[in-house]
Amino acid sequence: MSKQADASAESTSYEEAREELVDVVRRLEAGGTTLEESLALWERGEELARVCQRWLDGARARLDEVLSAEES
Amino acid sequence: MPAVALQTSPEKPAPVRQIASAIAGWIDRLGAVWVEGQVAQLSRRPGMATVFLTLRDTVADISITVTAARSYVDGLATPLVEGASIVVHAKPSYYANRGTLSLQAREIRMVGLGELLARLEQRRQLLAAEGLFAADRKRDLPFLPRCVGLVTSPGSAAERDVLENARRRWPAVRFEVAAAAMQGTRCAPEVIEALERLDRHPEVDVVVVARGGGSVEDLLPFSDEGLVRVVHRMTTPVVSAIGHEQDAPLLDLVADVRASTPTDAAKLVVPDVAEELRGVEWARDRLRTLVRGTLEREQHALDALRSRPALADPRTLVAERVTELELLRDRARRTLGHRLDRASDDLAHQRARARALSPLETLRRGYAVLQDADGHVLTSVTGLAPGDPVSVRVAGGRVHATTARTEPDPDLSTDPSDPEEHDEQAG
Repeated sequence: MSKQADASAESTSYEEAREELVDVVRRLEAGGTTLEESLALWERGEELARVCQRWLDGARARLDEVLSAEES
Repeated sequence: MPAVALQTSPEKPAPVRQIASAIAGWIDRLGAVWVEGQVAQLSRRPGMATVFLTLRDTVADISITVTAARSYVDGLATPLVEGASIVVHAKPSYYANRGTLSLQAREIRMVGLGELLARLEQRRQLLAAEGLFAADRKRDLPFLPRCVGLVTSPGSAAERDVLENARRRWPAVRFEVAAAAMQGTRCAPEVIEALERLDRHPEVDVVVVARGGGSVEDLLPFSDEGLVRVVHRMTTPVVSAIGHEQDAPLLDLVADVRASTPTDAAKLVVPDVAEELRGVEWARDRLRTLVRGTLEREQHALDALRSRPALADPRTLVAERVTELELLRDRARRTLGHRLDRASDDLAHQRARARALSPLETLRRGYAVLQDADGHVLTSVTGLAPGDPVSVRVAGGRVHATTARTEPDPDLSTDPSDPEEHDEQAG
């Protein structure tokens, strides 16, 4: 997981981030990675999870915005 | 007929009898005529020689009294009944003394409904052959007309049905009502005029012709050839809403859409806005629940992923490594321990063997080992010259000396390859 990959994490789509996250978890659980790789994988997982959460929060905010605009 | 001017004035009025006879004279001028009409009333008073009946115009709301000889009426093939359409050969006559006018019938012929319908059918086939009723010419009605043209008799039930129902479905609908007689001789021409006016109207996107129920005769004008051709030429779509479900004047066939009743016509020309709104509302709710469902599903999936130990608790990763490490270290220690033990046993064993083989005991028993400068063991004096440095290994250490002289011992052979010599040493 090179540094550039992290930088581009912001622009990845939700689906890409989520798919990679699933892969990271799978590899971590499969084991067989060096300690160094495990740590790197784990950090990558956290990063991806944050990206996904941001996408979901953004989507929910947009939905709530429409709904609240209607109630007001 | 030249107007017969009767010179009268307030000063020189004409007597009633003179006027009456003048009228009688004018009426007589009409002479005998064939008249078509519908028997509205029929009165046969017993003992009276003449029969009185009221003949009503087939389309207009006009009627006239007809008198006929009772004997003739009784002799008719098909009895005269009220409502029957008849054709009468009669001479108008004026009874001066009572000032009444009536037609004296000489001949009465039945015009059955059948004949009327037959004539209608013949006209239908003629117009159909011309392609005026072709299905492919039918135009679709506009979904949301800017203005709806309505040809009907003002204040009629039909008008009310169309207006009320349309407004209930779409309150903002705009109507352009063109009044026209819906019955009688004036009907066809007036409807034609109204249709043409509405067709020219820029805003009118659809025209409805609406009339309540009526007899075949009442609806006859709506099969008028002229009217049918006008509708055929119109650019604005026409909805025909004439009479009840079962009535089918030719207008129904040429119109773009046939409505069974005026109320039905209203439903066809304007959408039910409330219904459309409900549809939109339903779609929007559907959208929201779908999006919310997707969001929740994705959130659950993400939460599940994040709660997996691999992510949630990285210490497990390290912890695993730590336990692994301890295991390895223990194993390492254990194996090391074993090996050391074995090594020390081996060592002891080797030492014992070495000791057994080692010349030290021999040295302890007073023997010494002679070595030259290079450390080679000297087993014979040959090759040794006085002055050569030698060292002597004794039990407790080593003596460095120089050879003074050598003295070979003749009876002891010093050849190292002699096995017998060697064994003795090993013992």
